[in-house]
Amino acid sequence: MEMNKSAILEGLLYIVGEEGLSEQQVADCMDISLSEAENLFLELQKSYNSDDRGIEIVHYGEYYKFVSKAEIHEYAQKLFADVKQSSLSQSALETLAIVAYKQPITRVEIEEIRGVGCDMMLRKLQARNLIEETGRSDAPGRPILYGVTQEFMDSFKLLSLKELPDLPTFEREQEDLFD
Amino acid sequence: MSFQVVFNEFEGPLDLMLHLIKENKLDLFDLEFDVLVDQYLLYLEQAEALNLEIDSEYLVELATMIEYKSKRLLPKKEEDLVDEYEEDPKDRLVRRLMEYQQFKDVSSVLENYYKERQLQIGKPLSLENEEWIKNNENMPIEGNPYDLVKAMSKVLRRLSLSKPIETKMKTKEISVDDRILQIKARWMELPETFSFEMLSSDCENVEMVIVTFLASLDLIRRQELVFTVDENDVIWFKRGVKRGNE
Repeated sequence: MEMNKSAILEGLLYIVGEEGLSEQQVADCMDISLSEAENLFLELQKSYNSDDRGIEIVHYGEYYKFVSKAEIHEYAQKLFADVKQSSLSQSALETLAIVAYKQPITRVEIEEIRGVGCDMMLRKLQARNLIEETGRSDAPGRPILYGVTQEFMDSFKLLSLKELPDLPTFEREQEDLFD
Repeated sequence: MSFQVVFNEFEGPLDLMLHLIKENKLDLFDLEFDVLVDQYLLYLEQAEALNLEIDSEYLVELATMIEYKSKRLLPKKEEDLVDEYEEDPKDRLVRRLMEYQQFKDVSSVLENYYKERQLQIGKPLSLENEEWIKNNENMPIEGNPYDLVKAMSKVLRRLSLSKPIETKMKTKEISVDDRILQIKARWMELPETFSFEMLSSDCENVEMVIVTFLASLDLIRRQELVFTVDENDVIWFKRGVKRGNE
């Protein structure tokens, strides 16, 4: 008897762990169409949403993956001596935000916005695989252009860059009419 | 008026200016430029009095502001109908401050996303098994140092995940040079191409893995090893052109 496709997908997702699976990979490996793959993912994702489950399927960037639900974290902390939480410095966050909203962007353009040098920070973010070189600008010297990576999408729970929050706008403070 | 100078608190000159604008209740849309310049200068002077190092970026912005201020004191010549349009320095500064404030605001939103994501824990790929990994004999010999750094952080991560429960080990210290000799003694057991995991399979702790990594870097430098990093961030090695003294 042939196995149910949803069960095959579940098994594959289990094996790949946090590397995740894309719709394209599933379509290729199970020999189904992209839309069928998408439906399978959505169906399975829904079945894990229930409160009976401690793991869920998330979809960040191109990849779907199994993760333990956020509520499990406090118990994991008790179980293990230290569940490491990495953090990003304010300057790392600002630099990432600028790259994400303005990409592709050169180092000089980022420095213009932040008002400080960003050379080391860009290297660090590259080593953490949060940004990558996406090409070269046509400007003199052909400077390197930077963009965010799949890893960035995953780290910030984003399906696509369209999900980034809108940049806050400046409203002129209301003049007090009765002054 | 006395205030405490905490210089490291600011991410740069723009951050400092935004702080001063808020502190002095200035309006970004109708900026009292002179007040800002005075406060900014006062701040830098205080920092200097405390022997704090002032990054050059702060001085660049100060110089631009003072240039603008002094230009306005000079009588204007009528002929100065400029050929090339140049943005008014004050407008330019205000525009930059607003843009910077936007990114500062949005980065705190992103920080929350990041923290939420940290609560969701995944597990590593199950197939660390050698036979599952397609071993390509004709591997291209390329890669840059950042690929190596990236791949190495994954190795350390896998290592830490494979031993989630606290264990005690005696620390055995070994120098990079000794490790190179150990590795060379194992040349024969290793296949033509081998992964970093295979090379470090005899390591008992993270320190030893790091020493192994440093040893392999040294061997790469001496051209006794060449490396490549595949799409799964696995580091592969192959004996290089130079064979060294064995």
